[in-house]
Amino acid sequence: MDATTYGWLILAFPLAGSMIIAFGWKLLPGRAAGWIGTAAIGLSFLVTLGALFQILGLPAEERQLTDSLYDYASAGGLDIQMNILVDPLSVFMCLVVSGISTMIHLYSISYVTSDRGFNRFFSYLNFFVFSMLLLVLAGNIVLLIVGWAFVGFASYALISFWYRRTTATEAGMKAFVINVVGDIGLVLAALFIFRELGTFDLLAIFEQAPEQFSTNEGVVVLIGILLLVGAFAKSAQVPFHTWLPDAMEGPTPVSALIHAATMVTAGVYLIGRFYPIFEIALTAADIAAIVGLVTLLIAATIALVVTDNKRIIAYSTMSQIGYMIMGVGIGAYSAAFFHLMTHAFFKALLFMTAGSVIGAMANRQNIDLMGGFRRSLPFTSALLIIGCLALAAFPGTSGFFSKDAILAFAEYRGGAYWVFAIGGYIGALMTAIYAFRIGFRIVAGPPCEVARDLEQGVHHHVEPQNPATGEAEDTDVGFPGEKHNIAEDNWPMKIAMSVLGIGALFSGYIQVPGVTDVLHTFLEGSFEDSKLYFEQPTDAAEWRGLATGALISLTGIAIAHHFFLRNRAAAARLQARLPGLHTFLANKWYFDEAIDLLIVRPTLAFGRWCDSTFERYVVEGLVSGAQGVAKGGNSAVRTAQSGYLRSYALLLFVGFAGLGLYFLIAGS
Amino acid sequence: MIQVMLWLPLAAALLACLAPRRAAGWVAALGAAGTLGLAIALLAGFDSASAGIQHAVDEAWIPDLGVRYSLGVDGISIFLVLLTSVAWFAATTWSAIRMPERPKTYFLMLGIAQTATLGAFISQDLLLFVLFFDLMLIPFYFLFGSWGSDHPGREGEGAIRRSPATIKMVVYTLVGSLLMLAGAIATGVIAGDGTPVFSMAELRADPLGEDSQRWIFWFFAAAFLVKMPAFLVHGWMPDAYRVAPLAVLAVFAAVLSKVAAYGFLRVVLPIFPDATIQFQEVILVVALASILYGSVMAFTQTSARLVAGYSSVAQLGFITLGIFALRPDGADGAVLQMVNHGLVIVPLMLIMVILAERTGGDDITRMGGLALRAPVLAALFLVVTMALLAIPGSANFIGEFYILNGVFQEKIVFALIASIAMAMAAYYALRLFQHAMHNRKRDDVESKEIGWREGAIVGALVACIVGLALYPGIVLERSDESVKDTVSAVQEPSDEVAARR
Amino acid sequence: MDMSWYLVLSALLFATGAVGVLIRRSPLVILLCLELMLNAGNLALITFSRTLGDEEGQVFALIVMVIAACEVVIGLGIIVAAYRRRIPLNVDELRALRG
Repeated sequence: MDATTYGWLILAFPLAGSMIIAFGWKLLPGRAAGWIGTAAIGLSFLVTLGALFQILGLPAEERQLTDSLYDYASAGGLDIQMNILVDPLSVFMCLVVSGISTMIHLYSISYVTSDRGFNRFFSYLNFFVFSMLLLVLAGNIVLLIVGWAFVGFASYALISFWYRRTTATEAGMKAFVINVVGDIGLVLAALFIFRELGTFDLLAIFEQAPEQFSTNEGVVVLIGILLLVGAFAKSAQVPFHTWLPDAMEGPTPVSALIHAATMVTAGVYLIGRFYPIFEIALTAADIAAIVGLVTLLIAATIALVVTDNKRIIAYSTMSQIGYMIMGVGIGAYSAAFFHLMTHAFFKALLFMTAGSVIGAMANRQNIDLMGGFRRSLPFTSALLIIGCLALAAFPGTSGFFSKDAILAFAEYRGGAYWVFAIGGYIGALMTAIYAFRIGFRIVAGPPCEVARDLEQGVHHHVEPQNPATGEAEDTDVGFPGEKHNIAEDNWPMKIAMSVLGIGALFSGYIQVPGVTDVLHTFLEGSFEDSKLYFEQPTDAAEWRGLATGALISLTGIAIAHHFFLRNRAAAARLQARLPGLHTFLANKWYFDEAIDLLIVRPTLAFGRWCDSTFERYVVEGLVSGAQGVAKGGNSAVRTAQSGYLRSYALLLFVGFAGLGLYFLIAGS
Repeated sequence: MIQVMLWLPLAAALLACLAPRRAAGWVAALGAAGTLGLAIALLAGFDSASAGIQHAVDEAWIPDLGVRYSLGVDGISIFLVLLTSVAWFAATTWSAIRMPERPKTYFLMLGIAQTATLGAFISQDLLLFVLFFDLMLIPFYFLFGSWGSDHPGREGEGAIRRSPATIKMVVYTLVGSLLMLAGAIATGVIAGDGTPVFSMAELRADPLGEDSQRWIFWFFAAAFLVKMPAFLVHGWMPDAYRVAPLAVLAVFAAVLSKVAAYGFLRVVLPIFPDATIQFQEVILVVALASILYGSVMAFTQTSARLVAGYSSVAQLGFITLGIFALRPDGADGAVLQMVNHGLVIVPLMLIMVILAERTGGDDITRMGGLALRAPVLAALFLVVTMALLAIPGSANFIGEFYILNGVFQEKIVFALIASIAMAMAAYYALRLFQHAMHNRKRDDVESKEIGWREGAIVGALVACIVGLALYPGIVLERSDESVKDTVSAVQEPSDEVAARR
Repeated sequence: MDMSWYLVLSALLFATGAVGVLIRRSPLVILLCLELMLNAGNLALITFSRTLGDEEGQVFALIVMVIAACEVVIGLGIIVAAYRRRIPLNVDELRALRG
């Protein structure tokens, strides 16, 4: 079987899983849907491995294969096929997506077990994986947009999974609309590309772009910026990021899969995939890098202050994606994708541990209420610390190698790019601080009330309440009700978390500078014509970067130790001394309010004005005008219909007499 | 075969009048099914490679006036004929299940309407087209007026009674139609010397002088723009949409507006090419305004019917935009969108029937949480909503993409502004879905699953939507040749005009 | 025989009938005047037929008589029905079919 057949199978399994569960939702007994879903993604992962071996068997220059199934929409001069592109980059993305997804599906079997919408959950989850795989395997830009939109739909469906919570449905709507704005950017980019290059096929675009466009020509920069709009909306970069924190309304496995490991990385994939465009449109690439830097810093500052566990991790995701976007923006492609992979491991792990803790806490997510779970939740705590270590880029963990690879490249490019390196290191410091803010808060210190009860084996129970609105949760539809799903009790959760923990610790070793170079060599096949890909900093420079990173990481952990473990009051005192700053950060830099003021309200107001004023006076005026004319003509003619028989007779006679007279005179 | 298909609905309706009361609906539904079968047979035997009229029928009818009884399908109309058959089949079967009052008259009206609409799509003679165009409005006057229901209206506005609303609609539309009749007669008389000529093929081959074309273009455009409805002349739509019976409104919104768009492609573009080029930008502006105005209005409506109505204004704006891009890809997209929009509106309206039954009206602020014990209904509604907002992956997206591409290559600014509408559509479509299905359910509302018979009808339509989404090429490839033919008829004069400049 | 005398008579009868229709208010009288007009026409037809030697005129007159008879039946029927329902037999008041 050749690689492209594998490619179609990679897509087929999750789609089949989703459809089977969807159509058979009433018939499937117990947890069968969960196992079907997990098996489908597992099969997809195995097939990806098959494609991987196929690709490795080919010489490096010939590793980009395409295959078309049928003419999707080819008419009127446009040619849009249903075709896929199997090459090292897409196989890499498929591995990450299907691998992490399998683990998350496994985890979800326990996590969502008591939910009434269990089958619906797995159907949507499988559909999401299908969409994401379609996105990375798409061989032409229109199919990529289709995958892009399907992923957005799956995200909406899963964010508003507990659809009886107004906070969840509003969050879903927000995510979907911002996603569609990104779609528009991609559609316009596709239209521009067709106008200039006459094709939608990815490989054809990449071949023709360097010939058609000169460096930094207006059109190609515009195309780049439109692609960036799409990427930023999907990857939650400033200013399109406001949907991501709200997306935490969804169940935790959803946050793990979609909003940490896979969907939000689609923007990174897009920029990396379109490197030929971005290496010509240098301005656009620089914009990408700057936005990545800005997001990275802003998100890190917010993560220092918010108190909802999942939202801290969400802002952390935003920040780390900022690193990746910055990486592809400056040309550190393999480093950015390396970080994508390691981030997927440790971020998914962090969310999973968060889910376990939330289960123990009876669905409350405020970390100020948590503390000292190390004895009551030993497994969860251990894995939480592993995740935090990787996030903080502790020396030896995967995050350590991947994050610093990006920053070393920024240093290597020199000149103005030093800004990115310095900014990145500042961000790394903040990352280490908030990573261990979570770690120390939850794991260390005196046990909180819930932890103490748990040590005795008693599960704490509280009437679930929506923290945002205070209304009672509707446990009838399954918002996690009675059952508290913690890792210690459920072996599927344990297996999933362990696998991810191993990945978070050791996956960095595939790309140790000077020692191993697995990823960089593998991805070469996709970046053959790139000018920047083959430039590498020296080993010495890389080790210097690693040393700096190690230092910063340890400093950050030490600061976190001081503020969150040894001297808890210190954090409160700092907050009291800088109330303005604290409020500003706690309100997420007021982005939501700004967007509401500038975009949402004017549009709705305009809609209301049209409805009340324009429609009523102008349009109705036209209608009444037409009616008025008709009525006027009507009343003019009506006077002849008096109803008097004699006047009718008179008219008759006069008329005939007139006619007769006319013919008489005309005749003579 | 084409003649049987055309007259079968009317014949079935007349038979239904003779049948016993209970069976009347089923006889009519049988007729609609037969029409659908014939339409599918026509499609199966259709040759995509030829641009001309197929299955042609051409007989003299009124020789002294030059009117011929001339029928036929080509790439543009074949799918519209299929859409008509599908929509009417769904509506007739739905009505047969839920027996209306005075069923015989009801189904007679539906049958006449279907024959007239099919006639409008397949007639190849200008006067015959005008005849069917006007005829198709009459049964709806009766259907809306007699079987419609008064609507409470918005706060600040009184109740909307069905009689005045229907009369408003009919008068408004007829004003346009009368202008079109005058234009058609003028065309026939000017084109022929001695005996008027109304055959579309002959009128195409020998266009009129530029001056005549100018005013006749606007007379035809008036009729079509009012029918769609387009921005500024849509005043009849809110009231009429609020009083109409929903199953009838489904076919009205799905199909009749498409006759207007089709009229542009079939009549205006080939027969008045110079005027088309001259007024292209004006119509594009009207279309763009329709898109934006319709979308913005749909944001704030509390009546589900009006959300659908204003959304239709926006969608027809898109279709008009595609037609007046005067490029094959734009027009291809327009034809595809005509089919798509019809295919989406019918199940949407039928679902609204269910929603209205559960909550006692179409006010979306009184709905909520209906997905609770109705997962199948929610799933069907979700698919329809996604198709309505043209999510990439649906055939609606491909249609919009083709249209945008067509406009983009010629008049880029229009495409840029029109693309904003994609985000607006996402908002209003999802808002409708969420208000109805999600959030808390009111205590006085009962949430029940959709019945299996109604579910079968809606499910079949949704299956068609999904099928088309998987392979939009099926429509695009068949319409391609005929569309290219139509557009090239306009392009040749455009080259002359460009050369003159 | 000079036919012009017959034509003058016919014209006078017609004029009388016409004036009667325009002036009288009772529907019964209007009907009678209508008969007068019809018979005036008959007279003219027969006159011409006799003078020109063409039978068509007389045939036409017979047809006119038949039609007059039918019309009178209906007219009288309406008047009798109206009388029975106590509707005032005054043409100026019977104006319900007003526009």
